[in-house]
Amino acid sequence: MNQWTLSRRVVMKALLMGSAAPWVMRSSAFASSCDDHIVRLGGTIFPDTMNPFATWSSFWPQVFTYDCLVGPDARRHEDRKGFAKLWSVADDKLTWTFKIWPDMKWSDGQPATARDAAFTYKYLRDSIGKPDELNVGWNNTDGLQNVESITALDDETLQIVTKVPTLWPIDNQTMIVPEHIWKDISNADARSTFRNDPPLVGTGPMIVSEFQQDQFASLTANKYFRGGQPKTSGMILHFFKSADLIAQGLKSGDLDYGFYLTAAQWADLSKDPGIVVNESRIEQRDYLAFNTLSGKGAGSTKALQDPAFRVAIGYAIDQKAIVERALRGHGDPGVGLVMPLATDYYSDLSDIRRHFDLAEAGRRLDAAGYRDTNGDGVREDREGKSFQLELIAGPSANIEIPIAAVQLVAGWFEQIGIPVSVTQLDAGALRARWAAPENGGGGWDLLIDNGWLGTRPRDLLILGSSKAIGTNNGSFWTNEKFDKLLSEVEVTVDLKKSQQLVDQAVRLIYAEAPYIMLCYPTLLEARRKDCFEGWGTQDLMSMWSYFPLDRLRPQNG
Amino acid sequence: MASTGIGAPKSQHVGRIFLRAAVTLLMVASLNFILFRIIPGDPAALLLGGARTSVTAEQMEAQRQNWGLDRPLFPDQVVDYLSASLHGDFGYSFKFRGRHVSDLILERLPATVALVGLAQFIAILCGVMLGLYAGWRRGGAVDHIVTGASLALYSTPSFWLGMLLVVIFSTALGWLPGYGAYSPGAISGSLDWLIDYLRHLALPVTAVTLGLIGQYVVVARAAMSDVVTEDYMVTARAKGLNRGQMLMRHAFRNAMLPVVTLITLNLGYVVAGAITVEAVFAWPGIGGLTVEALNARDYPVLQGIFLLLGASIVVANLVTDLAYGILDPRVRQ
Repeated sequence: MNQWTLSRRVVMKALLMGSAAPWVMRSSAFASSCDDHIVRLGGTIFPDTMNPFATWSSFWPQVFTYDCLVGPDARRHEDRKGFAKLWSVADDKLTWTFKIWPDMKWSDGQPATARDAAFTYKYLRDSIGKPDELNVGWNNTDGLQNVESITALDDETLQIVTKVPTLWPIDNQTMIVPEHIWKDISNADARSTFRNDPPLVGTGPMIVSEFQQDQFASLTANKYFRGGQPKTSGMILHFFKSADLIAQGLKSGDLDYGFYLTAAQWADLSKDPGIVVNESRIEQRDYLAFNTLSGKGAGSTKALQDPAFRVAIGYAIDQKAIVERALRGHGDPGVGLVMPLATDYYSDLSDIRRHFDLAEAGRRLDAAGYRDTNGDGVREDREGKSFQLELIAGPSANIEIPIAAVQLVAGWFEQIGIPVSVTQLDAGALRARWAAPENGGGGWDLLIDNGWLGTRPRDLLILGSSKAIGTNNGSFWTNEKFDKLLSEVEVTVDLKKSQQLVDQAVRLIYAEAPYIMLCYPTLLEARRKDCFEGWGTQDLMSMWSYFPLDRLRPQNG
Repeated sequence: MASTGIGAPKSQHVGRIFLRAAVTLLMVASLNFILFRIIPGDPAALLLGGARTSVTAEQMEAQRQNWGLDRPLFPDQVVDYLSASLHGDFGYSFKFRGRHVSDLILERLPATVALVGLAQFIAILCGVMLGLYAGWRRGGAVDHIVTGASLALYSTPSFWLGMLLVVIFSTALGWLPGYGAYSPGAISGSLDWLIDYLRHLALPVTAVTLGLIGQYVVVARAAMSDVVTEDYMVTARAKGLNRGQMLMRHAFRNAMLPVVTLITLNLGYVVAGAITVEAVFAWPGIGGLTVEALNARDYPVLQGIFLLLGASIVVANLVTDLAYGILDPRVRQ
């Protein structure tokens, strides 16, 4: 009898545990996206603060909350406007007038007017030259040096007068912030310690309501959004250190959209009938840079300073093979400074373009005096020293350059008699090596790196700017004529004139070859079909604004 | 007299242990300062140079001054660092925009202790029991299975194991979440939150546990295998003790000496986190913070983390030494 009682207890316990198990296994604080209409996104991104004046790392998720005055998306797409509804420039090409959306409100219900836009720009401009200049974050002083005045003529009209003709007023990517939140924040705090903790106050469709560093940001739909409250309930942006979990999250249904996928993950996801994959052209350029320094920080051989040497190397790089083998087809072969996405300025340089030809590379090296005189298979420089170049590479905040691309390049160098030793560095060490020589940079020979800027002429040409040594100009190459063209294009508003100047600069630097463009990778992304519709057809998600989160809607919702 | 004779070596032994721990800690603190400054990379350039604007050399220098990096390393910086560290002040983070290092570490520590601490606990419990049993039943079927499985797990990279768990239990079966510490919107402290947290914890803990369990099995088995061949075990058997009595009275306590060493040393690493597993499961622990701080050359954060890690290992060693004294009285003499 006792035995039976014991067994009954055991059975009861087992039943209770068994019935609780599914609840424990399935229980979650939230239901799936199809139930709660919250869009779940995932990316390999690392936001560190919600203060746009203090960091470059938090574009995601701030872009969903703050508007640019105009910005790249509004320039490229008729239906993707920012803080301003309309804009125009006077005949003097200096006076810009912006009409702000009438009756627009911040997410806390306060009126969002031209005065807020004027405040944001003045807040930045007034810091110029001060010890706490706001030049360290996404919202920065760059370009404001050319601004004469910023005036809110009334609640709906903003006027910006520039000192020189420039497209900066419509090209800048400054996020417009509310004056009533930021007016009491000092420059010193804004550039460092002020964290701008959620809930943020913005004019975008989704407002950051919770930010957990290294985990996620939760956003709620902005009920005051000028286009009407978004149809989705909100969004959650998950941050990942590796894209593996993004791919798994898409498959399991935990994520609705993922970006920064690898080619292998993308190919795998493309077989899933419930998932749509896409690749978008972006502004990233992957390049090989030569250390052209001649004094402090110079490389191991003077040949690096010789355009003839660099041009000859240009024939030994097969950009098509890099795209096909290292990127598995997801990109465009590198040519000049301008990537195909910048359609206004792109040229394939067909008349001067170098084509992969190892024999031609060898002939040119011979002609330039870099021969293998002792027959050991290794060429010597003009000083008679055998080549042994150091190629440095490392991780990137953008789309990673596959190690296969580095190996391919090193292999081609070997084939033309120039041995290369590859040094993979961590981000900190890499940054230290290509810092300006006065800051201890240099001392390497070749660098494989990338950059992701915009499509403004200045962004396109900055790799060759002498002012950008230590920041964007990794080759340390300088050229007075190039700098002059860059200065000129920065004060040119006319598109045709601008195109001519960019083309001249691009050809000049191509002929000197301080950089060999390897490729322009595409961004690989994927989304699930089951919960939301309205993703658009071109890029699934804009890399410059909140599209399509402002118009996404639940399936059959 | 007799009591003084025994007490003196015991107190000397304990005193020596504490003195050694204090000296080691001081060396760790000093090494922390030098180590990260040897690595190439300027934190000012990394923070400001990451910007796409042209930050001038003057502005870069102003940032260094702001952080006190313009002052001589010795004696200014090192003296400041050591005196602040002694007062428990690790300073302010470069990368995390002036946040206090202690706050950053304390923010991440619970997640790491939950992950690695729980994994250690389960691994110790299961690993030691299985190892001792396998050693006790040396050569049997259980021994072969346990030893084989342990070696396989011991040699499996934890990130691979982690991804495998995600693919099976999160993607394919949908039983458990594959990333993060909890679901957004969960109200901290509620029962729902606790269950949600435990569900998120399940897979990372399993990955770390499986990685750890192998070494406990191997060490415990080897220790027990040695003990069972000792003469005193034969004597115990000759005295007529049954197997249970032999195991509990003689074998277990003697076999625990190397196991205790391993346990206490491993417990010292609980605060270090599990970098690869944290990365695989997007777990917000100390490991991830270390990587981020290292990439940004965030000296104060790195110094804080490594001092904490050093201190916990020193304490673990101290506990090991003291535990040895208790387990084996010969050590005290």
